[in-house]
Amino acid sequence: MPLKKKNQWKEGRAAYAMILPAVLIIAAVALWPLLRSFWISLFDLRLNDPTRNAIHYSYSVNVEQYADRLPGLLRTVKREAGNARDGASPGLSVAQKKLEAVSGELEEDPAFRERLAQVNGLLDAFSPVPQELRFIPVDNAKAERLKAELQGIRKELIGLKADGSLERPDEVIGLTSALLDTFQAPNFVGLSHYKDLMSGRRLWESLGNTLFFTVFAVALEMLLGLLIALLLNRTFRGRGLVRAAVLIPWATPTAVSAMIWHYLYDGQNGIVAKLLYEAGLISDMGSLLSSGSMVMGSVIMADVWKTAPFVALLLLAGLQNIPASLYEAAWVDGGSRWKQFVHVTVPLLKPAFFVALMFRTLDAFRVFDLIYVLTGGGPANSTESVSIYAYKTMFSELDFGKGSALSVIVFVCVLLISMVYVKWLGADVVGRRAG
Amino acid sequence: MKTKAGKWSMALILTGVLLAGCGNSGNNGSGSGSASGESSAAPSAGASAAASASPAAGEKVKIVFSQGADQTDGTKKLVAAFEAQHPDIDVEVREFPNDSSQMHDQLLTILSGQSSEVDVLNLDVTWPAEFAQAGFLLPLDRYIEQDGIDTNEYLKGGIQAGYYNGQQWAFPRYNNAGLLYYRTDLVKKVPTTWDELLKQAEELKGQGGTKYGFVTQGKQYEGLAVGFTELVNAYGGQIIDDQGNVVVNSPEALKGLKKLIEIQTSKAVPSNLNTFTEKETLTAFIEGDAVFARHWPALYAQANDPKVSKIVGKVGIAPLPAGDARSAAALGGWLGAISKYSKHPKEAWEFLKFLISEEGEKIVAINNTQTPTYLKLFDDPEVQKASPLFANHDFVNGLGSAVPRTITPQYAKISGLIQVEVSKAIAGQQTAEQALAQLETQIKAAVSQ
Repeated sequence: MPLKKKNQWKEGRAAYAMILPAVLIIAAVALWPLLRSFWISLFDLRLNDPTRNAIHYSYSVNVEQYADRLPGLLRTVKREAGNARDGASPGLSVAQKKLEAVSGELEEDPAFRERLAQVNGLLDAFSPVPQELRFIPVDNAKAERLKAELQGIRKELIGLKADGSLERPDEVIGLTSALLDTFQAPNFVGLSHYKDLMSGRRLWESLGNTLFFTVFAVALEMLLGLLIALLLNRTFRGRGLVRAAVLIPWATPTAVSAMIWHYLYDGQNGIVAKLLYEAGLISDMGSLLSSGSMVMGSVIMADVWKTAPFVALLLLAGLQNIPASLYEAAWVDGGSRWKQFVHVTVPLLKPAFFVALMFRTLDAFRVFDLIYVLTGGGPANSTESVSIYAYKTMFSELDFGKGSALSVIVFVCVLLISMVYVKWLGADVVGRRAG
Repeated sequence: MKTKAGKWSMALILTGVLLAGCGNSGNNGSGSGSASGESSAAPSAGASAAASASPAAGEKVKIVFSQGADQTDGTKKLVAAFEAQHPDIDVEVREFPNDSSQMHDQLLTILSGQSSEVDVLNLDVTWPAEFAQAGFLLPLDRYIEQDGIDTNEYLKGGIQAGYYNGQQWAFPRYNNAGLLYYRTDLVKKVPTTWDELLKQAEELKGQGGTKYGFVTQGKQYEGLAVGFTELVNAYGGQIIDDQGNVVVNSPEALKGLKKLIEIQTSKAVPSNLNTFTEKETLTAFIEGDAVFARHWPALYAQANDPKVSKIVGKVGIAPLPAGDARSAAALGGWLGAISKYSKHPKEAWEFLKFLISEEGEKIVAINNTQTPTYLKLFDDPEVQKASPLFANHDFVNGLGSAVPRTITPQYAKISGLIQVEVSKAIAGQQTAEQALAQLETQIKAAVSQ
């Protein structure tokens, strides 16, 4: 007996050990990217800004850029000093001395000097400089002092430009700015991205657009999906073929179907535009993608076309799970078809319906590719969803901090929606299953 | 014991892989896209590193040249001519979407992932400052100096567009400016002001089988920002002045924006002008549907190509109409640059040098009717024959006075703001005054960052 107990305990432990990887995987898949996005959203992280293109907790210098810029700057300053009209220009030689002092102070650090020589060697040989050689940390106080010094030099140079004592002022001033950009500053900003977003109107407009899209697209999809599912659940000849055909829109990649609809809606040659126009439903062929009020409707139509089959598939599975005996019993009891639908189909289909509803709502809320291809968010920003806004912020402007904040906001919205569903509808699903 | 250890290590490996995958997606923001890009780039990167370390005789180096899709065969000829001269270098052309905003975003995604999958880049005239500041480009000064290339032999506006913070980051391949195209069989007197254009467009609409008087770019994308820049400047306004002050909320800019709205909502233009990019404009014009069109010089070659065009021989070109102040065409065009992450910068430089050489620019000028930036080419009879523009001194001089869009690393952001606010103003969701006030505060915030 004790042996068996020990074995049991061992097995129990082994079972936990089996779960642990799953827990780790869930943590890695679900939580890690989210936490990371949130963490990034606390920084002013912009990939197209060399001083902010990574998370920095302290100052560092980009040695590669330094090597590219400093010699050129010193050379041009020297040349300007030599060219100065009235023989000697005191301002320029002062600036030159100050620059040399700054570079001297940086290069007095032997580690910095060594790294600089290494990087210069690579650059001269046309070799790329590896990431790990690029940055070298600098003491915060020293970096701030040197940056202030450089800013002072830049101001003096701008002053000299105003005096007209520089031959090619933009070159020296530009190179000084560029040298300033080699310093990477700490870029923690806390929650200010969220504050900025919440106080701007663009976030609320895009949230409004997303919500409008979600509510109407999902409602239509559920309705149409239910009708298709009821149709497909009946036995008729060629049912398999119809089932397969109905799934084609869903099997088409969204970007492709968006392209297809773009052609169909086109104001010059679009067939759908032409048909709707001939039918008198629209006043002008071009209005489907160009009038602010119509264009969201067009997007919704395209989404319904694409995803109603998916809903139908889920509901069909639900319908097939209803035992035929229940219908037979209802029929024996004299229930009409409508009564059968209300009293047998509806209650038993509920779980499948809610699952489909939840899937579609969460999916619709994150809509991106359809809108991106069909309208790009326009016209007049009337179809910009939150995901499109986040995309533009992240990839057009490379503002990753703010973009991450937007992603986190999308996540929070999705979380809220799921909580509402789980609380009001999901309880029903779970309760039924447990019973 | 053995199996247990196996399971554990398996689990650890799995978790590790997943964590690594997620770490990537966190860094780059796009999980699957960048991850697959990296994994596909990795083997070739390894191979090429070995190749560049010991360039064995006869071994070919492949470089990738990225640009928008080319409907002519100019690029093919260009690459063939280069490869004939450099048998050890293979050039692969990677085509991007022709929508400049989309191309911009895709390139940024590639470069911000530090991917080496593209070597030589075709950059729109507004990008070099941004790309240079982001550290995506190789500064060219060293190489220009080594090879003794004289920047004075090139169009000044193009050189300036590639110059940022005291360094040359990109070299102009072809520059252009917005143009007015018209149907020579319908238009008797070429309009010189926007008001005149609008009047004629309304009158001539419907004649000669046309459906529209005027077509231009109205979609909420970069083209709309270009149209805004042109109109604002035509009426004497500016977006950011030479001192870097945001001056977009001025009476002159207001006049320009109001005229833009008037044009884009007039009866002479298609009702769905706000879905028009260069592509739709081109189609409408060469199908014979429009009397006037605003487009770039490249339209000329296609409008006179009997394979695609219904209006061969009826195509006239004129400078863009003037506002109160002047005729202001936005400077457009493309520059060649080298990716910082290229594994073959030396070969990339060879190719870039060829692109901007007399021979390279000539091929593009003749086959694509793109305006060369190498000034001597304007005296070349073959180039002059390619497009009446290239022999036209007014046009060539006009290129020098074309309005550059603001040279700033924040351009993408500023352009995005213009697109949204102007599109809203055209749609009547806000007045022109409100749009400019919005733009002023937003651009100020963007520039001050």
